[in-house]
Amino acid sequence: MYSLVLTKGVPDFREGQVSFDEEGHLERGETPTVMNPNDEFALEAALQTKVRNGGTVGVMSMGPPGYEDVLREAMETVYADELFLLSDREMAAADTWATAITLATGIEKLAETDRGAPDLVFAGFKTADGETGHTGLQTAWGLDRPMITHVIAMEVDEDEGRVRAKRLVEGDVEEIETVEAPLPAVIVADPEFEPSYRRADHRLTLKDLQAETAERAEDYEEHLTTWSQQELNLDPDYIGLDGSPTIVESVDPIPKAPAEREATMIDPAEPDQLGEVLETMQPYAGGD
Amino acid sequence: MPEIDPSDHDIAELGPKLREIEDVEELEAILDAEREGEDRSNVVTLIEDRIEKLSGDDEDEEAGELDPTELSVAELGNAIRDVEDAAELEAVLEAEEAGEDRSSAKSLIEKRIDSVRGSGEDEDDEAALPPEEKHPELDHPTADKKHVRALEDGVYEDMWVYCETQRGQLIDVSKEMLGKARELMDGYNDEYVDAEEDEEKVVAIVIGDDVEEQAELAIEYGADVAVHYDDDRLDRFRHKPYTELFAEMARAEYDWKEYDEPRYVLFPATNNGRDLSALVQAELDSGLASDCSGLYIDDTIISNPAKVGRGGDKKEFQRVLHMKRPDFSGFEYSTILCLDNPGREFHPQGASVIPGSFELPDPDSQREGEVVRHESDLDEDWLRASVTDYDQLEGGVDLTGNEVVVALGRGIGDDPTRGMELGLELTDAFGDADMGITRGIVTSSYQFEGHVEQYAKEERQIGETGQVVEPDLYIAAGISGAIQHKVGMDESDTIVSINTDADADIRDFSDYFVEGDLFEVLPSLIDAVESGELDAAALAGDADTGPADAEASTPAGGEDDD
Repeated sequence: MYSLVLTKGVPDFREGQVSFDEEGHLERGETPTVMNPNDEFALEAALQTKVRNGGTVGVMSMGPPGYEDVLREAMETVYADELFLLSDREMAAADTWATAITLATGIEKLAETDRGAPDLVFAGFKTADGETGHTGLQTAWGLDRPMITHVIAMEVDEDEGRVRAKRLVEGDVEEIETVEAPLPAVIVADPEFEPSYRRADHRLTLKDLQAETAERAEDYEEHLTTWSQQELNLDPDYIGLDGSPTIVESVDPIPKAPAEREATMIDPAEPDQLGEVLETMQPYAGGD
Repeated sequence: MPEIDPSDHDIAELGPKLREIEDVEELEAILDAEREGEDRSNVVTLIEDRIEKLSGDDEDEEAGELDPTELSVAELGNAIRDVEDAAELEAVLEAEEAGEDRSSAKSLIEKRIDSVRGSGEDEDDEAALPPEEKHPELDHPTADKKHVRALEDGVYEDMWVYCETQRGQLIDVSKEMLGKARELMDGYNDEYVDAEEDEEKVVAIVIGDDVEEQAELAIEYGADVAVHYDDDRLDRFRHKPYTELFAEMARAEYDWKEYDEPRYVLFPATNNGRDLSALVQAELDSGLASDCSGLYIDDTIISNPAKVGRGGDKKEFQRVLHMKRPDFSGFEYSTILCLDNPGREFHPQGASVIPGSFELPDPDSQREGEVVRHESDLDEDWLRASVTDYDQLEGGVDLTGNEVVVALGRGIGDDPTRGMELGLELTDAFGDADMGITRGIVTSSYQFEGHVEQYAKEERQIGETGQVVEPDLYIAAGISGAIQHKVGMDESDTIVSINTDADADIRDFSDYFVEGDLFEVLPSLIDAVESGELDAAALAGDADTGPADAEASTPAGGEDDD
């Protein structure tokens, strides 16, 4: 069983202010990069597969050399065996389609190595910065693989060569459906994904993997392969800024609403003032 | 206030007036006034051009001392276009590396260096070369990949709307999109289509099992043509066949369709609709903006080098679908455009639309339109993934109908779990109350501890794309009050807000504004509501440490939420 997880570095929004240049592009230099929080769920799904079905896990990302930290973080989270970074200045400022073409090509190149094509490719849902939720699907389309998206639980039947997953459907009502697909396939994990380790031997395996990985992550560079645009044999017109159908025209503040009420200012340190607020609340008091 | 109020003038009057102004600050004030007022995109562009021209004059005076760190990437691109000396460009590159080190800026400078050092061949000629000659070092140009298949000189017309169904019925967002598409294309036909030409249409696409009636319904909601495909194996959404069928329709020839592919395509931003949008646009080798809440069609002037060509300067693109989407911050809209490159056509222009963003139109049973059955055989290979089971989820959370709603925003960011606990405790202190959250919390990356995590989900979101509540008492803690949040709560009888930032927008629609840190104020309120009296001693205690704490917590509280 060979699983490959796609991950992305995103600005760490927890750090606060994120800045944009005047073209509306995020100034990434200004903001620390962390692994996209939603990729955590893709990693969880891949880890569950490794614990339950054994095998190898790789992690792949497209980004500048600084993304090595993101990959190391991913390695520690998913107990990955190897890391792949697709990195080249020609790949910069790509939108989802240009990114998907690059990633699909990286996976095709991987398939030509001794490792062979991954049985399962995992992607997270929306990235925190782009928020499109498209890249995993478009990569799957480029690879012409069946896909199951918005996955909240999954299991692999290796003998049958199939993956079975539960996924969320939105609409006027919310639904949960079970989908089956043959391997090789692509799984896009939902933020509601929950791994399941019911058996005691699964939990033991998890512990062993943890110890093993801590060692490996120390010198993660030995497990890292970097591929450039030329090594991937990618035409620069189809990747990066040049290969992106979409651009950000502008980023505008959302207009402020006109004032509708005249607020009474309350200093919480003044009992009289806070007491006035309390009077408006008291009629509704009465918890259990 | 600037001397000229731009909203007093139309664009023809403004042009000459702006040319008389030499003061950049004055122009920026006018620009702000326009943005806050009518925000006409052509006027904004006009003012920006004037500002750019004046700023550009300054740069010329300091020629040779180009400091990239003081320039935006766009300004830098313009500034280095006139520099012919590679050594000077190298110096600029070094300055950028030592300074902000923006990869987009470096890439621009490096490209300019390559171009200056090149054999002097015209860059426009380079763009026209076939990929094999342009990149002889690559043996398999990406253009040959099966998933890259743009048209050449394609003809694109009409706005297509993917009408998602659930259990065989159109869902609300499908109707909302039809209403919006009708409005957009009516405006489009007025603006761009001469009286003797055929008007461009709204085309509804319905795929499923036995959906002909839904296609007929799509006409009532605003479509001119409704194309449907029926097969019992498509009873539920399946990625591959739905995508293949949609793309097949987009490329097909029909009596009513004499163009190559649609000009615009809209999809619902639901789990399945968003998936389909990404796949269809990948198959058609084009782009899209996801989760949009605003759409309009307009001409626009672009200077982005990838779109204009390396040798170019600015270029007008016509009939562009402007796709506005609220950003993660909740305070900004990004406007996304999907534009052709000089050597590659990116059509259709695609968007997915957040449910509830546009009004649900009333059906008009008298509306006439053409319902078309799409004839095609499903390829067995498309059916590799199959749905084996499905079930409806429990109803979710209904925040309406409570006497009290306690709502939390990103002011809880210092300790999200504790913030949620306080919100829940206050909610429990009331008899008939529930807790809501802002979109800022739903989209945040807060790590909640298990027991409160369930309250951080979309089902509790209040606002434009969440629930609209009108309780007797609305308590907004750590919410600074973006307009999308306001529309979800401003009909409440009494609004009490708690925020460290006295200038937070929410003050303008609050009855009481408690200027303080929710981590200090909420415990006092919880005690007081539970016991029926205010603990003056505890408050006095807070007051002792108050000023220092308030100062320390201001930045965190101020960076809020929506």
